[in-house]
Amino acid sequence: MSELITERKLRQLAADWISAGKRVVGPARIRDRILYTALRSSESLVLGGDGYLRPANSIKEFFFPKQEQLYQYRVRGRNIELLEPSADFAEQLIIAARPCDAAALPVLDHVFNWDFADEFYNRRRRATTILTIACGAADDACFCTSVGIGPEDPRGSDAVLLELGDGRYKVRPVTEKGGKLLAGKTEPSQETAPETRGPERKFDSAKIRAFLENHFEHAIWAEHGRSCMACGVCAFSCPTCHCFDIVDAGPAAGSARVRTWDTCQFPIFTQHASGHNPRGAQPARQRQRILHKFSIYPEKFGKILCTGCGNCVRNCPVGLGVLNLLTEIEHGQHL
Amino acid sequence: MNDATQFEPKIVAYVCNWCTYLGADLAGTTRLEYPPNIRIIRLPCTGRIDFNLLVKAFEIGADAVLVSGCHPGDCHYTSGNYHARRRWILFRELLDLLGFDLERIHFTWISAAEGKKFQQVVTDVTEKTRKLGPYTELYAATAAKGLPQMQPKPFEFRTFDQQDELRAEARKLLSAGDVKVVIGYGERGPILLTRPDEADLLVWNNRCTANLAMYLKRKEVKALGKPALVVKACDERSLVVLEKEAQFERKDLHVIGMACEGMEQPKCANCAVRTPRFADTTIGQLPNQVPAATPGKLDALLEMSRAERMAFWVQEFDRCVKCYACRQVCPMCYCERCIVDKNQPISIDPAPSTKGNFAWHIARAFHLAGRCIGCGACARACPVGVDFGLLNVQLARAAKKHFDYQAGVDPSAELLIGAFSQLDKEEFIG
Repeated sequence: MSELITERKLRQLAADWISAGKRVVGPARIRDRILYTALRSSESLVLGGDGYLRPANSIKEFFFPKQEQLYQYRVRGRNIELLEPSADFAEQLIIAARPCDAAALPVLDHVFNWDFADEFYNRRRRATTILTIACGAADDACFCTSVGIGPEDPRGSDAVLLELGDGRYKVRPVTEKGGKLLAGKTEPSQETAPETRGPERKFDSAKIRAFLENHFEHAIWAEHGRSCMACGVCAFSCPTCHCFDIVDAGPAAGSARVRTWDTCQFPIFTQHASGHNPRGAQPARQRQRILHKFSIYPEKFGKILCTGCGNCVRNCPVGLGVLNLLTEIEHGQHL
Repeated sequence: MNDATQFEPKIVAYVCNWCTYLGADLAGTTRLEYPPNIRIIRLPCTGRIDFNLLVKAFEIGADAVLVSGCHPGDCHYTSGNYHARRRWILFRELLDLLGFDLERIHFTWISAAEGKKFQQVVTDVTEKTRKLGPYTELYAATAAKGLPQMQPKPFEFRTFDQQDELRAEARKLLSAGDVKVVIGYGERGPILLTRPDEADLLVWNNRCTANLAMYLKRKEVKALGKPALVVKACDERSLVVLEKEAQFERKDLHVIGMACEGMEQPKCANCAVRTPRFADTTIGQLPNQVPAATPGKLDALLEMSRAERMAFWVQEFDRCVKCYACRQVCPMCYCERCIVDKNQPISIDPAPSTKGNFAWHIARAFHLAGRCIGCGACARACPVGVDFGLLNVQLARAAKKHFDYQAGVDPSAELLIGAFSQLDKEEFIG
């Protein structure tokens, strides 16, 4: 015996949270694309249809925002006053996430709790409930199955919903929090959800890792990296990229120390004060991103820093993204 | 003495060192009284005023801004004030679109001998601002209203006839060895070919939207040697600007011009010239056409009230993550170090906050004033669909309206920014 929830109930759930003044995040249509966004109304929530696969951004910004005040300070003569930020870690609900977004969180938990427990991240994690909708389709850019994740992967989710059609979803609770959230909103059902189809496996991550560990210098880096324009699209739309910078914002006398997203693709990411840049050209920066995801992070934390969502591939203005390079390594003469 | 409840405006005055500052000094030494609401910031020349300084003044609480320099013909540096005047004509159009209150931005000429005029101007500006009240509209999102969205046309993939000819040309150029790299379009996006046997990787179809001139600035590409660049007539205009700005020498570039039937982009409806005019090799021939007059989103935005416009931009910029894809894919954004990457001191707030995003998008748009050729690469690259391309269109319209200038159309025309005319309009200058 299992449970199902209807689309109407799901929207009602979102509407209830919104009217209670709590943040509900979900995919919504903004101009010509679909993005995870804090919803103003449950009507704008996109649950599927029209060839929709996944949003062009990721849910990481609701745990690790693009900019966040760490503290404020006021300078008065010789006195420097530090002010704690208003801790806004109210309960939030993420609805209709994709498994490749939710699965990024258990991966990120490692780095945000490694030599320092990041309370900003952790408290948001604890305050969030995630309802994931399993993927019914995949496109050329999807490769979750190549990094050990699947279209109905429960990792990071509090409940996974599987589409039954006609606006009904089979509920697969994952955590107690997820079960509690949906309690009383579901109805019993005997139906089995149609099998979800993941993308075909496009590379073997163990083989890739072996290649990366032995080919720090290789012609493929220059070939792949020279058409890269050094923007941050791949990193900023990636569910797992988590590098940040800390900057002072505002006028010097009364200001805030702010954490902002940063990326290894920007030349100034590694620029020394002397002017020297150890990663002086774009191919070296591209290599860094790939190595970090598929070799350095796995070595350190035992997990691949990639969930195969394909955002870097779809969003790259010049048609790069990690998948293209990795399949080239997989199928090319490089191994 | 003023009533304690009376609003006392804060006014920031950016004045030049040589005329207006001395005018202010003269006002002081001749004991002329004027309201104490003004905070003077002395700069070498109005021509050196970074426009983000004005925005910054508003951000930290100014209710009005005054800029004042030498009278035309009097500039200590001969022409700084003329440059300022020309840039102001454009900058006001940008601020207007963004929903800034132009009534709070004043420009005037005051000479060293005009202590009396200084007194008058400060008194007038203070009184006017007092009437307007505090500037609370700045970055307010309350009046948000959507723009009509264009329905995307169904996309039908088409390969154009000239694909084979393009491949043959690339093969020929790379075999001859004069050209070291062909920058063209591949299946997934731009590709850089260095060997003749790779020529068949080139494609020519209606997905070839990118403006490949962006690669001319890349160090990694320059290192490869003389490039052959595949361009459409629209992208070719960026080459005209870049050459004029001395970013490359024409003899160091081989241009393969492709006659283009259109890339299914909104801008293609406004296309007049379809065959590149200055290419070394031109493939295909298409006659010029009359651009469709399309009342677009910009017109809809300009019809909104000032508060609605500002609210619109607050919402748009709210999505910006500062990935700088807009900058990176722009052929014109070639500065070795972008103003936003300067951090000692920080000039533009690096955080993707409302303030930081306004500052960034104003700087980006204005640095492209009179230079942007409207290829639309920036807007296509934006991962979160911020509609900042409208800022560039507004500035291009302003260049056309005030100076009858279109970037990259006439190679013999003087660059718009960096030049000036004594006849430039100045009806906004008091």
